[in-house]
Amino acid sequence: MASLFQQSMPSTGPGYSFASAPTHHSSSGPRQHAFYPYTDNGGSTLGISGATFTILAGDTRSTSGYNINSRYAPKLFRIGGDGPENEGARIVLSVVGFAADGNALKERLDTMVKMYRYQHGKEISVHACAQRLSHILYGKRFFPYYVTAILGGLDDEGKGALYSYDPVGSYEREQCRAAGAASSLIMPFLDNQVNLKNQYDPASGEGLEKVMRVPEPLPQETVEQLVRDAFTSAVERHIEVGDGLQMMIITKEGVQETFTPLKKD
Amino acid sequence: MRGATILKANEDKTRQLNKHTLMAYVGEAGDTIQFAEYIQANIQLYSMRNSTDLTPSETSSFVRTELARSLRSRSPYTVNLLLGGFDPRTSKPELYWIDYLASCAPVPYAAHGYAQYYCLSILDKHHHPDISLEQGMKILRMCTDELKRRLPIDFKGVVVKVVDGEGIREVEYEDGGQVLAP
Amino acid sequence: MVGKDCVAIACDLRLGLQALTVSNNFPKIFSYGSQVHLGLTGLATDVSSVSELFRYKVNMYRLREERDISPQTFANLVSSSLYERRFGPWFVSPVVAGINQTDGKPFICGFDSIGCIDFAKDFIVSGTASDQLFGTCEGLWEPNLGPEDLFETISQALLNAVDRDALSGWGAHVYIIEKDKVTKRLLKGRQD
Repeated sequence: MASLFQQSMPSTGPGYSFASAPTHHSSSGPRQHAFYPYTDNGGSTLGISGATFTILAGDTRSTSGYNINSRYAPKLFRIGGDGPENEGARIVLSVVGFAADGNALKERLDTMVKMYRYQHGKEISVHACAQRLSHILYGKRFFPYYVTAILGGLDDEGKGALYSYDPVGSYEREQCRAAGAASSLIMPFLDNQVNLKNQYDPASGEGLEKVMRVPEPLPQETVEQLVRDAFTSAVERHIEVGDGLQMMIITKEGVQETFTPLKKD
Repeated sequence: MRGATILKANEDKTRQLNKHTLMAYVGEAGDTIQFAEYIQANIQLYSMRNSTDLTPSETSSFVRTELARSLRSRSPYTVNLLLGGFDPRTSKPELYWIDYLASCAPVPYAAHGYAQYYCLSILDKHHHPDISLEQGMKILRMCTDELKRRLPIDFKGVVVKVVDGEGIREVEYEDGGQVLAP
Repeated sequence: MVGKDCVAIACDLRLGLQALTVSNNFPKIFSYGSQVHLGLTGLATDVSSVSELFRYKVNMYRLREERDISPQTFANLVSSSLYERRFGPWFVSPVVAGINQTDGKPFICGFDSIGCIDFAKDFIVSGTASDQLFGTCEGLWEPNLGPEDLFETISQALLNAVDRDALSGWGAHVYIIEKDKVTKRLLKGRQD
């Protein structure tokens, strides 16, 4: 989905800010200065939806190259709600990639969701918000927000809703999605544990008689534990992921935020 | 071919290595025949010295080793090969796909170059481990028709040889007729 | 992958040229002696060449020493043989798995293409799906798994990892190595 913005296929290490800028080494002609407007700030996000809730999670490390900018730079934002702290919000946006673009995107979406309430006198639904976000991203099709976004909330029926995006606004509602630096580590694990891929009912027969296990919405405690497992695993094997795990759990009661320390090495 | 000019339309790009092993080759003009005949000579020498033929799998191993050695030499051979044979001990036909990097894989069907993109999907669909020669020829016809239909270059037909328990023989293959894309 | 008194090693079966699949029956695990197994990923021609080179070297070792090679000795043989080609390497990243017959302890290790050994207590991954494998192995593996649980763990780790990699898949071979027994299983997996 995001192939447009990924570099060579097997990830080649941390994303550099200025090293990946187009460089001109030709000796002839006047020296030209190039400004590369993007940086990769690393980190990973993850979202899983259940029957009555959605969980979004992200680590809080911000990197550039091999340096750590901050050990607490949240990637999860409440959208809508009241006041500067967005109290009473029912939608959460997670952004990973270029942090500056992520913040700009968050501000834009938040403003638009608030404007919607002032103009229509009601809260925006998640699916409307999801489509709006797609339009915001596609609006910058030729100078994109360098982010992979995941939007979470509850749909009109009160079921968990989760939408994932590529940088130019292609989006899809899913059960679970990992994004960012360690997405390639986390996603196959989620396929296995959430969507029960490659798992068969042990009571069924052999060979062609085998019956695949059918994925069902998981209980909240199970999902929270899966998220923690996914991130502790990613921290072990990816240098851009670590420091802290921020989780936001959206239920009909509202958004509950938790923070768990991760390894700081 | 020499550049864009066709020099000969019906060259036989195969060499018989021993009674029941045949090697087809494509690649860099000079390299192909040089390498194929080097292999042919060595396999024949083995048969003369030992009064026994190498089996196709043994032959494939020898060919691969020679190509792997050439790959890391100063001037490597750029030759892609298909090695077909019949093992008289197990009475089973075998086919080996070998490319110029000396990657070797035993396969049920194979092609090299652009033909891979056109033919492998047809073979995936129609090939079955226990097809008869007639059914095999039918699938081959589907493949050559597809090449005529879809390849932008006008390819000048094929030479067809059959390897089985009796040895190697060339079979007539009607190559006329234009096949047009729908 | 290491378990309790057992180790497992597994590979997929695809051989391809970039996006084109040439063969879907190309095993990448080779056994040397009864217990020592070598997995090779990378350039297909070097996978064949290196596996044959080690077959020759291990056979010579057996003739000289009149005993099977231990996994530790084999690992050092792999390392020094790869480093011999320091400035024109074999383009492979090997993985060794076996059980030492003297002390009955499991042993695994991995290498880069010029022979730097990576000893690990838990698991080693290599190949185009290595990122995915790191994720699944780190998430599923736990210490002291028995042979059957280890088989399930390594199989799930491999299958789910290769399903997220376009360049791997087409079934798998799994070896479960115990002190006096080696079990080889063929997994079908997704055929696409």
